[in-house]
This record gives sequence, structure tokens and C-alpha cells, in this order.
Amino acid sequence: MILVTGGAFQGKKAYAMETFPLEESKIVDGRSCSWEEIYTAGGILHFHEYIRRSLEEGRELKTLAEDLARRNPEAVIVVNELGSGVVPVDAFDRSYRETTGRICCELAKKAREVHRVVCGIGMVIKHD
Amino acid sequence: MFALITGGSGSGKSEYAENRATELARKTGLPLYYIATMRPFGEEGRKRVERHQRLRSGKGFHTIERYVNLKELKLPQTGVVLLECLSNLTANEMFEPDGAGGDTPKEVLLGIRKIRSGSRHLIAVTNDIFSDGITYDKTTEQYQRYLGRINQELAGEADEVTEVVCGIPLCLKASASK
Repeated sequence: MILVTGGAFQGKKAYAMETFPLEESKIVDGRSCSWEEIYTAGGILHFHEYIRRSLEEGRELKTLAEDLARRNPEAVIVVNELGSGVVPVDAFDRSYRETTGRICCELAKKAREVHRVVCGIGMVIKHD
Repeated sequence: MFALITGGSGSGKSEYAENRATELARKTGLPLYYIATMRPFGEEGRKRVERHQRLRSGKGFHTIERYVNLKELKLPQTGVVLLECLSNLTANEMFEPDGAGGDTPKEVLLGIRKIRSGSRHLIAVTNDIFSDGITYDKTTEQYQRYLGRINQELAGEADEVTEVVCGIPLCLKASASK
């Protein structure tokens, strides 16, 4: 598994497409894909939005990172780094931010590579 | 040489950029220009500008205030330029009546390239406004999109890209000669 993280609008998708052998047809978008599609996709974009939607629907996320690592070990996961602001006033926003962060930590632990993209430039922050 | 410096608010990126610029000016013996892009609004803005002026005083900067339309700016001489910062410049171009509006990314990039070609070294400071996880209104999101695009373009063209965290410079890209 490969995790690509970074702030919004940093060129993470372009970086992932350039760096990894990803086919456009095998990429799903966390904003719109079905719950199951992430387990068969080559690449998952906006993974934080998948988490947000899951939280909105009250889905259980405890085993998400583990399931993903087990069922789709070759996936390239692109996710926003979103924890560097003030604690959100809204309870849902707080839980979304925290849950996304925790899941990313777990994914990063299981991933063989983690890349962080800033201004379109990727830095490998983990490589097994 | 063209260096792009990024980092969050209060990360120490200005101080790092100033040191980098003064060092380059000292080495080359060229004049040192500071292009200030922040139009001070009210008490808070005035204080912010004053703080930056205080930090720069005695370092030999000639300050040039320029809020929009960088491409028309003529520098008195070829020198070392510190431009601070792209997030203000982008906001000015987008939201000020005399700004570029929908042409903001194009105009900002043109302006930076113009300054770059007219100077020996350019240090441009930008801002990480992308990592707080908040989904903003359409206008603010457009501002993030524009600045994100400008940052990526300039990072691609730059010889050096540095992210400053707690005053510590992290090298994202370095020129081969260094």
C-alpha cells in the first residue's frame, strides 16, 4: 500500500499519476465511489471524503485501515492532510478531522511507502 | 537563482527568507530589495507591517510596496529581491478593484517571472493555507485553488524550494550546483 498525503491543492493526484503506474480507469474518487470500490481500485483519490461520508452515514470505521491493507495491498491512497488548523467548533468536524488523522496514521504504519506533497513536490517520508 | 519558501503562519519563514536574501546580497555586493505586498488595513495590519519592518531594519533592504500588477514594476537596479508574500499578492489580485480577478494566477506568474528575469536572485515567500481541513465557501476555495496552482508552477520553476517548520528549513528541492 502507498499513501500520498499533503494539504489541499498541492498537486497530489498529478504527483501520484506521475510517480506510480496508475491507470485512470482503475482510479476511484472517495467523494463518489461505492463503499466496496476502494477494495478493488488501483488508486483512491480524496480518501478523506470517503471517511467523511462514512461518518455522515454512521458507518463503523474501526477496521477500515486494516481491511484496506488486507484486501487491497497494492492500492495508492491519496488523502488530504487536514489537521493543521484550529480545533473546529462543530462536533462532527472535530470527529471527522480526528478520525481522518488516526486512520492516516494507521494506513501510514501499514503502507510500504508514504509520500507527502508540498507545492507539487513529493517527499518520501517512509520507505520500507 | 530563484528560491520559493513556504510554511505556515508563524513558522519563521520570513526570518529564514530575510537571512537567505541578505546573505546573497552580501556575497554578490548587489542591492537588496524587499517587495512588500501587504496593504495594511487597520490597526492589526499596521502592527503586522511594523513588526516586519522592525525585523528588517538594519539589514539593508530597500522596501518597495507593490500590491498588484507586479509585471509593470521596474526595479532601480539588478539586485537581490525578497518578495513577501504570494498569498497577499494573490488575494490582492483576486479581490482588489485594481486586481486581475479571474486572471490572477496568470498575472501573478507573469509578474514573478518578470521580477526574476530582472534580478540576480529572487526569494519569494508563499504561505501554507491548505492543511486545516476546512471546506471554505466557493470564493475562498477559489483563492486556495489559485494560490495552490501558483505555488506548484513556481516550485516547478524554482532552483530551491524550502518549507520552514518551527524555524527549521526543510529542503523540498535544491539546485544541482549546491
